[in-house]
Amino acid sequence: MTAKPDTRADFHSQLDEIQTGIARMSAGVTELVPRATDILLDMDLEGAEYLILGDEEYDGRSLRLEEQCFETIALQAPVAGDLRSLVSAIKIIADVERSADLCVNICKAARRIYGHALDANVRGVIQKMGSQAQVLFKEATEAYLNHSAVRAAALRDMDAYLDDLHRQFIQVIFESHAAGALDLQVAVQLAVVARFYERIGDHAVNVGDRVRYIVDGWVPDIPYPESDNDPPAMLPSTED
Amino acid sequence: MLAIVLASAIGILVGGGAVALVFRTRRPEQSDVPDPTPPGGRALTPDDEIALALREAVDHLEIGVIVMAATGRLEYRNQAARAFDGTHVGVIVAEEIEQILDEARNGRQSRRIVEVQGPPRMWMAVVAEPLPGGAAAATVQDVSERMRIDAMRSDFVTNISHELKTPVGAIAVLAEALVDEPDPDTVTRVSEHLVIESHRVVRTIDDLLRLSQIEFSELGQEVVEVRALVATAIARGQAANRGRDITVTAIDAGASIRVRCDRRQMESALGNLVENAVKYSHDGGVVQVRTRIDDHTVELMVADQGVGIPARDLDRIFERFYRVDKARSRVTGGSGLGLAIVRHVAGNHGGDVLVQSQEGEGSTFVLRLPLSLLVTDAGSSSATDTPAAAPTTARTHEEAPS
Repeated sequence: MTAKPDTRADFHSQLDEIQTGIARMSAGVTELVPRATDILLDMDLEGAEYLILGDEEYDGRSLRLEEQCFETIALQAPVAGDLRSLVSAIKIIADVERSADLCVNICKAARRIYGHALDANVRGVIQKMGSQAQVLFKEATEAYLNHSAVRAAALRDMDAYLDDLHRQFIQVIFESHAAGALDLQVAVQLAVVARFYERIGDHAVNVGDRVRYIVDGWVPDIPYPESDNDPPAMLPSTED
Repeated sequence: MLAIVLASAIGILVGGGAVALVFRTRRPEQSDVPDPTPPGGRALTPDDEIALALREAVDHLEIGVIVMAATGRLEYRNQAARAFDGTHVGVIVAEEIEQILDEARNGRQSRRIVEVQGPPRMWMAVVAEPLPGGAAAATVQDVSERMRIDAMRSDFVTNISHELKTPVGAIAVLAEALVDEPDPDTVTRVSEHLVIESHRVVRTIDDLLRLSQIEFSELGQEVVEVRALVATAIARGQAANRGRDITVTAIDAGASIRVRCDRRQMESALGNLVENAVKYSHDGGVVQVRTRIDDHTVELMVADQGVGIPARDLDRIFERFYRVDKARSRVTGGSGLGLAIVRHVAGNHGGDVLVQSQEGEGSTFVLRLPLSLLVTDAGSSSATDTPAAAPTTARTHEEAPS
């Protein structure tokens, strides 16, 4: 940091920088989702390779952003809204980075099922899941960017639809396999792919929750233990 | 003391050429919205007024203009450049602009096209140019339409040569094989192929001619019963059925609806839609043709439960020779011009054609015609009647479906 007399201005520009960085990373991941879907549907091995190699950039960015957060927290001792936004930033970065990994996983699955034709039903549901996951992530990005608790709150409902699609996808995989149109190997890979999309949606919901926390201090309505020593056994799993 | 000094005005060649302006502001805080009055209440000099007028002009340009100071700070963005703020597209483009401006500040002029995944897919052209004193200016422009047209044009050239050359090449090879062929069985087999390939060329050329005829010929003005149109189209669909047990049904076939149109064009368009629906249905599937009138349009809807169309092909299927699945299309034997014909016919009649589809669940095409084509029972086109006459017809029709 350069020695500037106006420390607070410096602090706020640091916050802005972190926010811009996260928004960019998140927008980048929003772009990865439809790309991964196209790669999977087109069996585009070259595209898969590009996307997989590109993941390093997201890993690097997330590390850098995280470090900026730590530095700002340590040096500026922020309170209230600023502290909420910085602590949440660290969590959001992890969600976004993980989603990039999930896109990479989809591409890896595309490589594994290479050469196996998918029937129209399966392709249709993949397309639907892909676009819904993309819509969720885009919405999460824009909610974060615009500090919109309202848009963030809508994410949970949008995710319910993605979960429905997930169930539908599994059903279609069973049917397609039973009809002999799908190898067992491919069926298993696709079931995992369905899971990846569903997880991307969950990460988007997490980002949304964090945005609500930043904006108005909202926390999910879950009973958590009184004492610090209690194991959080009662916490419902965030997996589903 | 002037708050705003017009530093320089340079032209950056983008498309038709736009003027980018540079402003050096001495105010410490960055402001995106230009402040029209200099502080201090001093009277404006002519130079100030030119600067303000220019700033106003740049602010209203259709293309985005961004200026970065030598310090690396964003100094100015006009309205167009701010239009996407707070959106996904805005974030992606802003990042590219910053990178390209950094390059320009190091004296390198550069240009790139940023692609944003849909829907709808967008392409933004970002151009940056160094300015004297280490600053830089960039312009940003939505070039999606141009990219789409370019892709369409280059695909058309590739496709038309493929569609015509492949069968003609095959005919040449088959004919050569026949020249010295003594075995009558082989001659028969090769001749059969010759016939198939010849028919393919003839069909393609026929469709091409029909398409150009539709494009340029005068529009017929016959009064046609929609029910008759639907019946003709269904007959054509059933001809394409060939024992695959596909049911083609008409719903609300529009007994009372008559439209003023070019009968042959309309038959061709609706027939193409129904034939496509049958071709891409699964064995035993159902194709429905539905007629509907609302306050603005007469709609002819053709729905199937067949293979459907992948999302990313949806906006391109009306292009000539565009094929979703190259291999399958050869088997089903279409010329690749059917939907282009449909779109032209719809356009000729002042309407349009919409598609909604999901892979694996089927497609629905809607041919929409303006209500002005509707002919009321009085025997005259409703274009000359009061518009109120049309909804009445719609209601009678709904109450008593044929």
